[in-house]
Amino acid sequence: MSAAVEQARIEEIASLGLLDAPSESRFERIVRLACRILDVPTALVTLVAQDRQFHVAEQGFGSREIPLSQSFCRYVVDDDRPMEVSDARLDERFRTNPLVTGDRSVRFYAGQPLHSPGGVPVGALCILDTTPRALTEDQRELLADLAGLVQEELGRSEEFDRGRDVQLQLLPKSTPDLPGYEIAGGAVPVGLMSGDFFDWYPVGDALQVVVADVMGKGAGAAIIGAGVRAVMRGTSQYNELDEAVQRLAVSMESDLAETGSFVTMFAARLDPVRHELTYVDAGHGLAGTVTAAGEARLLDCEGLPIGTVTQGGWRAATHRLQPGDTFICLSDGLLDLFDDLDAAVAAIRLTALESGHAQEVVDRAKAYARGHDAADDVTIVAIRRVAA
Amino acid sequence: MDMETRDLADGVGLLALGGRLNMVSAPGVKAAIDELIGGGRPRVVVDLSSVSFMDSSGLGALVAGLKRARQAQGDLRISGANEQVLTVLRLTNLDRVLRPRDTVEEAGRDW
Repeated sequence: MSAAVEQARIEEIASLGLLDAPSESRFERIVRLACRILDVPTALVTLVAQDRQFHVAEQGFGSREIPLSQSFCRYVVDDDRPMEVSDARLDERFRTNPLVTGDRSVRFYAGQPLHSPGGVPVGALCILDTTPRALTEDQRELLADLAGLVQEELGRSEEFDRGRDVQLQLLPKSTPDLPGYEIAGGAVPVGLMSGDFFDWYPVGDALQVVVADVMGKGAGAAIIGAGVRAVMRGTSQYNELDEAVQRLAVSMESDLAETGSFVTMFAARLDPVRHELTYVDAGHGLAGTVTAAGEARLLDCEGLPIGTVTQGGWRAATHRLQPGDTFICLSDGLLDLFDDLDAAVAAIRLTALESGHAQEVVDRAKAYARGHDAADDVTIVAIRRVAA
Repeated sequence: MDMETRDLADGVGLLALGGRLNMVSAPGVKAAIDELIGGGRPRVVVDLSSVSFMDSSGLGALVAGLKRARQAQGDLRISGANEQVLTVLRLTNLDRVLRPRDTVEEAGRDW
């Protein structure tokens, strides 16, 4: 295993906040269940840390940690797949392991990998027995299901719940009342927290709308996203849109460099009198319109993402919305659910045509993301100029 | 993710990747590029012909590698990207700075 992959694992484990923490009943329940259902004396929820294996919960083991050299679970983590050892005395890797040769007399081991909310293998749910055995296919599935439960719990902590609540509070809570327009937005985070956000607020007589996607996902991306949102709000009030984006990029430059991250962003100002949408696309690329007649087109996009190689060159362009036009901006999490860009545009076009209101476009996109088990955060904003 | 590095020419390193270039594998890829550059190969070709999928974290690793290479007066080029990878590059306009080449041979020429 490379040092960098191991480093990623160590960081993910740290961010779970479970290392050396008091044992929690939500995990204890699962190891007790594992012992009962699978008829073994010992079950563990482990984290494979840098120098040791830590036991988040244990039943029938009596110790919260063992040295890494005795760990069976590290093989599960390294290979990122389930492992079963029928008789450890016959396995080269474990023959001389003190867990096998000593008082614990481990013979049988079965482990299922556990992933962090970021998708990194961090530990295992494992069962041990002092007599050799083999799991039936049914039992294997049960162990995998129990591991799924543990994994869901890993991503859930009070702290994360609070983080998610705060992030939800940062999304617009009301829809702006813009005569002649319907405006809707929605988000489906893949984890508890999201690297995407959307935002809208008045700037002069216009409505500014922002959709941004921070590289990666989860809490780290959410923190950067909150910074982008706040700075963009600040720079937008007294500047033209392209200048506001430029200032945002300068402000965020060191933060993004330090964290090795970048942001794609679509920002637009809608003038509801002239029906002009003035926009800057910083490498977002997924904004377009569907006309009442069903013509779909992507808006031209020529800017690079914020925080990549150059800082500058974001130019504003203007698109005029006709009666019945629906403007839609998505994050790429939705794109991944289709074979290619054309297929995604075709689906969005149909959705826009079939939807009676901008809110329906958003609701249908959200339902689609949920129904297809999106692997990345999905965010969508839809604006429709009501037909005359 | 499978990773293999070798020298293409004097000062030019090749990193051949296989599998999914995502949040899990990105740190390893970034480290491998850093290692090539740190080892005196500021010009790096990353061959993506066996990469089946790349997400934004994967793209982040390539961008970080490009920045690092340019800091070392070198450059980073990519070859063999599939349609999904090309779509990610085109949408973000990063195909303008990470111009995709068809083959390792093409990417390795004329620095």
